[in-house]
Amino acid sequence: MEQKDTVLVVPCSGIGKVHGLISRESAYEITDNVAKGQADTLCLALLVKGDEEALAKVRNSRCVTIDGCAKYCAKKNIEIAGGEVAESFMVNDALKNHRGEQPGTATKLTETGWTVVREIACSLANGIEGGEK
Amino acid sequence: MSQETTKVGIISCSGEEIPEGTISRLAVRRVLELLRPGNTVTICLPLFLAGNQGEQEFARTHPTITVDGCDKMCAKFGTEKYSGPVSAALVVSEILKGNCPGCRSTRDRTDADKEAVWTVSERVAAEVDAILSHGENCCSSGGSDDDGSCACMQPLPGMKIEVNGQPVTIAGLALIFDHLTESGLAPDDSSGDKLLETVRIYHSIEPNEEQGYRSALISAYKTYRRNS
Repeated sequence: MEQKDTVLVVPCSGIGKVHGLISRESAYEITDNVAKGQADTLCLALLVKGDEEALAKVRNSRCVTIDGCAKYCAKKNIEIAGGEVAESFMVNDALKNHRGEQPGTATKLTETGWTVVREIACSLANGIEGGEK
Repeated sequence: MSQETTKVGIISCSGEEIPEGTISRLAVRRVLELLRPGNTVTICLPLFLAGNQGEQEFARTHPTITVDGCDKMCAKFGTEKYSGPVSAALVVSEILKGNCPGCRSTRDRTDADKEAVWTVSERVAAEVDAILSHGENCCSSGGSDDDGSCACMQPLPGMKIEVNGQPVTIAGLALIFDHLTESGLAPDDSSGDKLLETVRIYHSIEPNEEQGYRSALISAYKTYRRNS
């Protein structure tokens, strides 16, 4: 089996709702903080556009996707590109633990929003650190 | 219900790898929320690029501005591939003339980042104004000679519905209804979830507005199907 040392964290970055911002910030929390040096991210639009370099990167990495809605743009586009989705996360699953709280808007997160980001990042980082390479 | 002039579509690249992607996303949000809230709408670029015909139809029939972080211009080329020429194509790195701050996360934003978002958003708003006023910049980047059509095609009529007693115009609602009709959505009370899910892709609906929109959309969809 091909060895895949790189982990790519790909958020949907949906622009319409807070869920998209949470997905995006969760990816940065992983790549820049909790799993710094162990994971990278990728421009989803570049991949969807069919950029050869992006396609190669995805096919040679374990991918973790974070989606804000049931359209699953990040997960589906990684799969369409021939990538391996090692783990797929839906922002709503994390928000269920914060019912009644306001996570923010598509532009700005509240303290609750940042807490959710941290929770998602820590949850996914465990898989990245313990993932099979 | 009545027909009304529609809005300008703005599509941001939101590139995750570079700070300019964050700036493009925030600048577009600023235009949508603060600078031109009544005249603009957006759609997620990955959804648009990978979406079905109904999703891509939206940009095809709207005057559209793309905002890209870098010269790879994923938003512009992706939009033009599926929907024809855009009315304006902006690139953050060009607008900022290489003076882009370095933050990708919104948590780490500095005054320089905020200033950059302001600069880009004002440029986007100016393009919106140019399109709406049919100014000379309207066709400056993307007019096509191939089919004889102008990039700043006539705006798509919106449809007005009444949400909790307040009139709300939703751009392209007739197209959305047509698409859902073709998908087999029945014009009855069971259509609420699907209507809400589809419309909110193109039109912002806050959680506390859902019930009002649901009722209004069901009613409008029933009326539309009766009259078509």
